[in-house]
Formats: sequence, structure tokens, C-alpha cells
Amino acid sequence: MRLAIDYDKCTGLGLCEAEAPDVFEVQADGTLLCLDENPSEALRAEVESACASCPTEALRIIED
Amino acid sequence: MTATDNEFGVDFDELFAEEEEEDFLPATAVDKPEYAAVDISTKAFWAQTSELRDEAFAELRRTDPVSWQRPVEDAVTPDPDDPGYWALVKHEHITQVSKDNQTFISGQGVLFDMLPRLFLQMTQSFLAMDDPRHQKLRMLVSAAFTPKQIKKISDDIKRAAKEIVDDLLATAVDGVGEVELVSTVAEKLPNRMFCDLFGVPEELRDLTATAAGDIIAWADLERLGDRLPDEVQVEAAAILHDIAEQLIDARKTAEIPSEDLFTNLMNAEVDGEHLNEFEIGAFFVLMAVAGTDTTKHTTSFALKALAENPDQLAFLREDFDGRIGTAIEEFIRYASPVMTFRRTCVKETELGGKRIIPGDKVVLFYPSGSFDEDVFADPWRFDLARDPNPHLGFGGGGVHFCLGNQLAKQMLRAIFEELVFRLESWETAEPELLGTNFMRGVKRMQLRFVPAPAGAGVG
Repeated sequence: MRLAIDYDKCTGLGLCEAEAPDVFEVQADGTLLCLDENPSEALRAEVESACASCPTEALRIIED
Repeated sequence: MTATDNEFGVDFDELFAEEEEEDFLPATAVDKPEYAAVDISTKAFWAQTSELRDEAFAELRRTDPVSWQRPVEDAVTPDPDDPGYWALVKHEHITQVSKDNQTFISGQGVLFDMLPRLFLQMTQSFLAMDDPRHQKLRMLVSAAFTPKQIKKISDDIKRAAKEIVDDLLATAVDGVGEVELVSTVAEKLPNRMFCDLFGVPEELRDLTATAAGDIIAWADLERLGDRLPDEVQVEAAAILHDIAEQLIDARKTAEIPSEDLFTNLMNAEVDGEHLNEFEIGAFFVLMAVAGTDTTKHTTSFALKALAENPDQLAFLREDFDGRIGTAIEEFIRYASPVMTFRRTCVKETELGGKRIIPGDKVVLFYPSGSFDEDVFADPWRFDLARDPNPHLGFGGGGVHFCLGNQLAKQMLRAIFEELVFRLESWETAEPELLGTNFMRGVKRMQLRFVPAPAGAGVG
């Protein structure tokens, strides 16, 4: 799976980071850093939770 | 005075005229249906318990999910020209409107009332703003509330929670204690964490918390005494601005720069400019209210619910670390402390078969959405295993989603880890509720408790 991130929509709250800390990290300036744009299947559950938790719908999974 | 004949060289007439035209779309009574049969605007409606209120909400959810309501009786600044508002009670509509900031804006205010512009600026900062400025201001502090930052202060939060419960247990005599819960426990942790984060010195902490409480208590008769709601609000806002000014002065003259959010605000630039003292003050007012008054009420309601649902308390104790995550979501859903926020329509649209036009006020009833039968099975069951739990306790999504959500959860986790293990049992009296249409709050609630045997503390 691949991640599609709409950085214009992201508000830097970090709900995704709370769900999937190995994949998402909000930086000191409030912007989001994606640590892994092609997360492994082992992380699927938490990445799906992260995408669902985003209040501004900035995260999407694209299946390969 | 001629248009620009003043020391600022500013044309005030034009400035205000333009603002009214651009920013304050008037609400109109044009093409509106009859007011709904289920009236949720009376003082009596808001004076009830939330269980009774939800009977009316449930009726609206079934029969009139986007209803046209007359103006609330408990207005801060009653307006004879106010035609009313649309009441959104379904989870689906609340999230849809919360996420559509192009159609439904916050810049005309987020409470029932059309409050004066100056008051909005004085008290609500980016809460009553729209992007892009909303996001720029919010970003000044948002980095302090991310999971990583909250983890960094989680030891401080735990230590504070432990001290608060130490003090609670010290009140027990002969193995039984009885205290007023809100002042002894519930308000302590959020007040302390807010003041730590913003660098509010010890001697100003009580005043900060009291003033923050007054701002949201405009319709509570006891809190008002013989004052008018707008007097109380303006006075409380002025007190918080004054505290902010003292914090600014202290930082200007300090030899060692302090590391706190307040200092960040003073140093920050937005669009190449520093925030002025008034803007910093407004920011402080918003954060003080949001940071102190919500988690406090969730703590009180959740402690009461645990006492009334011993099976749920036992369930949580069995595997605290594994279950506290979902439990906290249920605490927040069940408490639903923030009851309403408003948006203003700026683009004609349709919601639940009703035509909404520019200028219309649309009020989001979060507790109703969080008890919506279409989303939550058996909504009045206090179920700590409820998962998923898409409650609206932090809002319905979108750019205004609660900034402090991670901090709130961390505080709830810390205080309940102490309470559920260091108290063997407890019971709560009926709470005295805050009488407003904005915050579902507990003013006072007696707590009777039996401490756990020594050594049975947090595992």
C-alpha cells in the first residue's frame, strides 16, 4: 500500500501519529512528516486507523 | 469628525461599514418553516439533565433532524432581529457541516448569539476565525500538543495526578473520606497543566481558573449573582487580558527567557508580524477556557458513571493498560461537556431536505450526535469496550477539531489510573449542574470514598 497525503488539508494535530507512530510524525513547526510512504502490510491496521482518525481527511491509502 | 481626521489616519466609518458588509451576513427569516414543535431554546430545556434533554433530541433525530428553532432564551446579548437557527442533531449532519468550512464558517461567531465583533476578537481568537488566519494562529501552539510533546510531559502529568490523589486520600478519617469532588480533584489537574504549559505563576492561577469559568457561565444564575451575562463575560475577559499583560511584562523584563507557550506566542510571527498584546490576550482567553473547563467536567461525570456501573469499573481494573484507551473515549462521549457550537452559512446548500441560505445560523448539538442511535448501539449504555467510538466530544472533525485532545486524554488516563486503584470504592451524590446551553458542567458534587488498603496503589 501507498499513502496519499494532502498536505494542504493537514492541520498538524497528530492524531495519525498517535495511531501509527512509525509512519507519521508531526514536526516542531507543526508540519507532518511521513516516515514511510509505503508501509508494510504488518502496519495495515494502524495505518487504516490513522487515516480514519484524521479530522480533515488528509490521509488516504492507495492499494498497489 | 471627518473620515480620516484622527491620530491613526484611518477612516473608521469606512472600516466598520466594510466589515459589516463583508463579515457579518445578517440572518433572515425569509423562506423559513414554522418553528419546530420540539422547542430546544427555552431556559427550562437547558436546565434539565442531559438524559431528559436527549429525549427531545431523540424525537428531533427521528422526526425533524434539521429543525428550525426560535432564538435561545439564554442569549448573552438578546437581539430582537434574530430570526432563529437551524438545529443539527444527527451525527451525520454535524460531521458534514464541521468538515465543510467553505459553506459553513466560524468567523461570525460560534455561540448562539451574534456577539459584537470586538468581543469575539477579545475572547475567542482563532476559534471564531476561518482559514487561512485560523490555521496560522493555531499552528503557533499546535506543535506543543502533538503525541510526542504530550509524551514528553506525561511524567509531569502523572506526578501531578498522584499529588492530587495523595491530597484527596489525606482527607480520609477512619477509613472514609467525604469531599466536594470538583474543587478537590476534578479541576486541579487541567488547571495545573494549563498554567504549567503557559507559564502562569502560582499567585495568578486561581484567578485565571475563576475568570475562565465565568466566561462560559453566562447563563448560570448562581455564578451571575446580580450581574448581567454580558457584564460577567466582559469582566472575566478583561481579567484574563490583564493576566496576559502581566505575563508579557514579566517576560520582557526577565533575564532568563522562559520556555513556555506564552513566550512562543510573543516571539511568533504571523504574516511577517508579531501578534500584538490584544491578540495574545485573546489567544490566552481561548486557551484558558478550552484548557481548564472541559477535562474537569469529563472527570466528574466519568467518576460518577464508574460508581454507578460497578461492572464497568471491574472491567477496567482487570486490564487497565489494555482498556483505558477505549474507556477514555467512552468517558468523553458519556460526559459530552461541550454541547454546542455554531456555524454561519455563506453558500446556499441543502441539509436533510432543508434549504439553508447565506446568513443562516446552524447550531451543532454535539451530545445529540454522540448519542445518535444510527451510529451508537444502545447509546445510553456506559460501555468502556465501545469500539469504534466516533463521538463528537472533540468536535465533528474539520479544521476546528479540538487542539488539546491528546492532552485531555493523557490527563484523564493519569487521574483515573490513580483513582481506580487507590480508592477501593466510592459513591457520588447528585451533581449540581451548570445551567448553560454551552457547557455541560458540574459545579459541585459530593464524593464519599473508601481508600484502598495501603500498598494496593497503582500497579
